[in-house]
Amino acid sequence: MTDFDSDFNCDVAIIGSGPAGIGAATALAERGVKNITIFEREEHIGGIPRHTKHLTFGLVAFKRPMTGPAFIKKILARCKNVTIRTNISVIAIKQDSTFEVATAQGLQTVKAKHIILATGARESTRHARLVSGMRPRGIVSTAALQQFIYSFGARPFNQAVVVGTELVSFSAIWTLWRAKIKPVAMIERNHRITAYRPAVLLAKILRVPIYYNSQITNIESINTLKAVSIMSDSGVKQVLNCDGIIFSGKFVGENSLAVASHLLLNPQTDIPFIDENWQTSDSDVTVIGNAVHPADMGDQCYLEGLKLGSFLADKLAQNTVNSAEFIPIEHSSDIKMTTPNMVRLDNETSKTINICFHVSKIYWGLVTVKFAGKTVYKKRHRCMPARRITLKNIRLDPFDINDKTSIEICFS
Amino acid sequence: MDLKLTQSTVNKTKQHIQTAQQWDVIVIGAGVVGCAIVRQLTLNGLKVLLLERGADILSGASKANSAILHTGFDAVANSLELECMRAGYKEYIEIRHKLNLPLLKTGALLVAWNEQQLSQLPSIVSKAHENGSDDVKQIDLPDLIKREPNLSNNALGAVEISQEYVIDPWSAPLAYVTQAAKAGAQYQFNCEVTDGEFDGKLWCLETTIDKYKAKLVINCSGNNGDIVQSICETPKFAIKPRKGQFIVFDKSAYGLVNSIILPVPTATTKGVVITKTIFGNLLLGPTAEEQQDRYDTSVDANILQNLFACGVKMLPDLEHHGITATYAGLRPATQFKDYQIEANPSKNWVGVNGIRSTGLTSALGIAKYVEKLCLENFADIVPFNNLKDIYWPQMPNLAAHKPRAFEIGDGTEIICHCEHVTRGQLESALKSEIAAKSVGGIRRRTRVMMGRCNGFYCSAKVSELTKGAISPPQDSDGGKND
Repeated sequence: MTDFDSDFNCDVAIIGSGPAGIGAATALAERGVKNITIFEREEHIGGIPRHTKHLTFGLVAFKRPMTGPAFIKKILARCKNVTIRTNISVIAIKQDSTFEVATAQGLQTVKAKHIILATGARESTRHARLVSGMRPRGIVSTAALQQFIYSFGARPFNQAVVVGTELVSFSAIWTLWRAKIKPVAMIERNHRITAYRPAVLLAKILRVPIYYNSQITNIESINTLKAVSIMSDSGVKQVLNCDGIIFSGKFVGENSLAVASHLLLNPQTDIPFIDENWQTSDSDVTVIGNAVHPADMGDQCYLEGLKLGSFLADKLAQNTVNSAEFIPIEHSSDIKMTTPNMVRLDNETSKTINICFHVSKIYWGLVTVKFAGKTVYKKRHRCMPARRITLKNIRLDPFDINDKTSIEICFS
Repeated sequence: MDLKLTQSTVNKTKQHIQTAQQWDVIVIGAGVVGCAIVRQLTLNGLKVLLLERGADILSGASKANSAILHTGFDAVANSLELECMRAGYKEYIEIRHKLNLPLLKTGALLVAWNEQQLSQLPSIVSKAHENGSDDVKQIDLPDLIKREPNLSNNALGAVEISQEYVIDPWSAPLAYVTQAAKAGAQYQFNCEVTDGEFDGKLWCLETTIDKYKAKLVINCSGNNGDIVQSICETPKFAIKPRKGQFIVFDKSAYGLVNSIILPVPTATTKGVVITKTIFGNLLLGPTAEEQQDRYDTSVDANILQNLFACGVKMLPDLEHHGITATYAGLRPATQFKDYQIEANPSKNWVGVNGIRSTGLTSALGIAKYVEKLCLENFADIVPFNNLKDIYWPQMPNLAAHKPRAFEIGDGTEIICHCEHVTRGQLESALKSEIAAKSVGGIRRRTRVMMGRCNGFYCSAKVSELTKGAISPPQDSDGGKND
């Protein structure tokens, strides 16, 4: 066997062609980096926005609302001098910036100088949520629903219940309504919707009742899906007839490649360790986008990709290696994850960083950041699940770094 | 629209099987036991018809088990169950290469988690030796820790059963029935046996599709065993379905254990097991809940949470791994511990009932035992004639530890990214001898949509690719689940 004589060898390999991957490729190419390849396992590029035909893209990046496909078309137009390979699945990330891909002809090992993982996020499943009941057909995610309807013109059921009230959940009822599938109800665990409050208007217009403080207690089926039973915190039970259930939102990073690799994971979140420049424990591998912060807007991922691309182009030009100490950011389980989730600091230079995070529970109040026991940030925030909360301009001054140094985010 | 589709499917299949025909044997139920019996009898030259109420083989109890090839080390001594398990185990090992069926040689460790369990280990070893499992021996704590470093430090010691292995619970029965079909066996799915009459020579079975005649009937209807048995006689047993719930962890958890981790069994259950699956996941379960309903395979959130906690207690790292699937199976238990396999010589009927959790291991052994019963009781009516040229179908490999289609490259792209299922695999499953006709069927034949994303990425595409081949489009299996 010859070593890495793959046709796919490249300088920068970007895995995933969603907004983050395209953004990174664009900025790298614009800064003169050659031999950039995007590897996409699907037939078409664009990632999740490809089948989201709602006007939830473009506002931040281009100051005008556009659909997912229009957004992808727009950002691809700027992405030049980049090789894009579709229907190629990356199977494993290995040491020394090599990785294994599956093609129609089987496996091969590919060598790059740098790997960017931009594998995105997906909604958490019925099974991962440990929901009671039978397992009939007709239980899908919003993304699957949108593919059924927008990509294949299929109508997988007639009346469906949507679990969750995130932005994507409202996208789901809108998709259902457009496909003439009756949105029977939305079910929310908390006392208010997770998305911004005005989203309730959409449910009102479409006459979709929202059951608050409620959860599914059973999925009933006799040959096919018949109904879901729900119960509120006060013990009120309801049976909602339906032949479809959409488990929406509760995004998780699609990190299976990173998890199976040599990259170090944050033990609190099982997400790869990344610093303020998205660099992992291996200086030749970067993870960006919704894989590490499931799930922010496509625009944010695109802008993040552009930023990383610029950073990485400089880094590749200078050939620098991360030598600084690696300090994890710690937090309680009320915080789902932070980006970055570690900071690289040395004993000489100050650093000012932003920390973004998502919460798993509603929290309105004081957020404090402590660095080696000292408070370096203190401000009130309204933290809602499924939203990006940003702690800005946290100044970390150099000092004696030892094993016990930590950055800690506290709710108090 | 669905109704019309069903009707046209029925008409088509009616033409396929000429109903005026008469069979030597009708086997009721295409679970793993039914599939193995159809194989055994067909290879003996008999004309066999397999009737299944679900849309595919393995629609009932057989589709949800722990996929372990048991040695029978802890079975009741001198039981029929033990006899069939040992024979089934032996034959599986003998024929698996010819059918390209996988075997993951994990071995098992029966772990004691407290002093009381630790004190039981020597008797478990001596019982295993009585059962003929000579390889079983007790190991000490340092050895256990060396072999299973991820177990929690509550573990005190273990018994090693080196020959307990993991197999593919779906490809094996599919191989049995495929081999039978290639040798002339016929089958009818979506066909529930509702009644029957014996005229002293021939059985005429009434079903939801048609009437079928045969000289001999073999009842392998699992959780409906007693209902079907009552067509022939007042059953001597009652089926008491016992539910077992499972959690499948993501592939990242696969390496957390090396062996199958067994608990010290209690009087009622073998207890919660942690095992690799042949597909590269980690399985935790089963629980054991008795229930009346024969079809209710619903999972229960509270029980699953307890099961998860129980898993974390044994294997703390589990907490860091995603859950891919949850499911429940119903074991066709009876009031008796042993299998209820009996011939009724005056009625040309064999009942194969009460095959609880060990059916996957014992199926081939049960088939041999049924063959023996037939020879003893029905040799004059069903003439045995060993087939000379036996065709050995090569099952597509789904096991993670052996090369799979996407690794070798079958000229097509990957459709299901979590389980790495290629378009070629899907197409073969739709064209194979016992072709997938339901969503459950295509899932079990290929692993498509069985991964961590539960179809987030590929379900719409799979639905498009299988359009027309799987009908009616919104069907489900007989077990009312897919």
